[in-house]
Amino acid sequence: MSDLMQTFPIRRIVEHGPGVKSFYFDKIFNVEAGQFINLWIPGLDEKPFSVSSITGDQIELSIKAYGPFSKEMMKKKAGDYLGIRGPFGKGFSFHDKALIIGGGIGIAPLRILAQKLKEQNNTFISLLGAVTRQEIIFSSWWDSLGQRHFTTDDGSLGLKGVVTDVLPEILKMNDIKYIYAAGPEIMFVKVKEMIDPTGIPYEFCMERYMKCGIGICGQCVLDGSGIRLCVEGPVLNKEALSGITELGMKHRDASGRRV
Amino acid sequence: MINTHFLNIELKSPTVLASGILGLTASSMQRVIEFGCGAVTTKSFSLDWRTGHKNPSIIPFEHGMLNAVGLSNPGIDEMVKEIRLFRRQCTAPVFASIFGRTLDEFGEVTRRAAEAEPDMIEVNISCPNVHSEFGQPFGESCPDTAKITQIVKKHAGKIPVSIKLGPHGPGIGKLAKICEENGADAITAINTAGPGMLIDINVRKPVLANKTGGVSGPAILPIAVKSVYEVYRSVKIPIIGTGGITKTGDAIQMILAGAHILGVGTAVYYEGIEVFDKLNKGIENYLKEQGFDSIEEIRGAAHE
Repeated sequence: MSDLMQTFPIRRIVEHGPGVKSFYFDKIFNVEAGQFINLWIPGLDEKPFSVSSITGDQIELSIKAYGPFSKEMMKKKAGDYLGIRGPFGKGFSFHDKALIIGGGIGIAPLRILAQKLKEQNNTFISLLGAVTRQEIIFSSWWDSLGQRHFTTDDGSLGLKGVVTDVLPEILKMNDIKYIYAAGPEIMFVKVKEMIDPTGIPYEFCMERYMKCGIGICGQCVLDGSGIRLCVEGPVLNKEALSGITELGMKHRDASGRRV
Repeated sequence: MINTHFLNIELKSPTVLASGILGLTASSMQRVIEFGCGAVTTKSFSLDWRTGHKNPSIIPFEHGMLNAVGLSNPGIDEMVKEIRLFRRQCTAPVFASIFGRTLDEFGEVTRRAAEAEPDMIEVNISCPNVHSEFGQPFGESCPDTAKITQIVKKHAGKIPVSIKLGPHGPGIGKLAKICEENGADAITAINTAGPGMLIDINVRKPVLANKTGGVSGPAILPIAVKSVYEVYRSVKIPIIGTGGITKTGDAIQMILAGAHILGVGTAVYYEGIEVFDKLNKGIENYLKEQGFDSIEEIRGAAHE
């Protein structure tokens, strides 16, 4: 691991569909499921990304074209050097009889979680939602992992609807001991409303605008708790989440304003 | 803990959160207080919000940290709210760090910041990484330093003012004297040094988006100690010694050079937020071992 800026060449790129690619780098560090790295495109910007898998001696970042940064990533070729700092933060803990809930591109950190849970012989069910089928990349990979449920807003894959439409039924039919979630915060707020009364413990991988990644700038500190998401997060458990007053509300931008 | 008097302010310890570190929100500053920090300084703020420079904006290197955040801040309205919120939740002193683009703006920000009744206003005239936008830092010019001190003092009312100086320019002792002559109540020394630059050898480009940035952390301790030493020689007003303090020995050196209280920032990266507790205990142990009863007995001792 290194907090210092170092650049590494992209070893290979796999295109999954329009505007969705995986970038593979040498496995320059070990990474916990849920930890993130800061990726630097020289001359452009630096942004946090979840590591989505570790395959043999390579780490994978799966990126969807969305803003200027991820669009620029789509132009990158194998051999191009990019800066990587990290991994940063604390990841998921491992539990048996789990339910993994993900939404949209936010499912990236859940792939490595599923990978690691499986390695340690923990059983789990997955429930993944997206706007449309193209957003659920690696759907066949998830298929191979056992019981899984997909929802899409347009019904193009799995059930038409959102994850919270299916969640009560899954909780009723299965003996779930732990819940993991990643994706849009608004999705998680709704999930939280449903799972809090059940008493099942959970962890959620949060996102905020970040600058330093090393716990000093204060940009990603959460209101109500003082938690530095880049150090004490990005994965927070039920207890940590209960102290946060800004969950599902406005977030701070680069200036620090709530927008 | 070692209670400390500073400008009629009671601090539970001599370690203070330096500006620019974890000082954006009340929740964040309150958490630092829980780790033994004696007072907090907000992130520097201006009248209007600023996005600051693009990332990478903060990069550690082997001996310290390089940053060009670019004075990003949510603007005075948001920051006044956060200071007031901190006040309601916490009894520890809070210092408001302010800056302006122009001399007049320094006055206006001070006037508005004073409404939130911080325990002190720290005036950042020495940020080294907004050169392309602001030109040479005001704090490297004797006439500008004098003018800003006057304007800020005029608008601060009864709230004490500390001018934050950098290690560069016409001599920090001389600048500190100008601040004192124009009514400053304290000096904060020093801001980050440089600016400096780091270049990635594979892509052959500067790492910081701003290309250059201020240097902090262990690398600048000797510069900070020497600056505090010089300021102590030249003025009577108290000094917030800041720059590179990471270990107990660093803090003691600063006190021996003449610091009244100690600004701690980048050390949060090296030692965690616990650094405040660690330094406080370390200072206490040093005093005991060396047979002293208080910090006062060793302050400026290196000058004798």
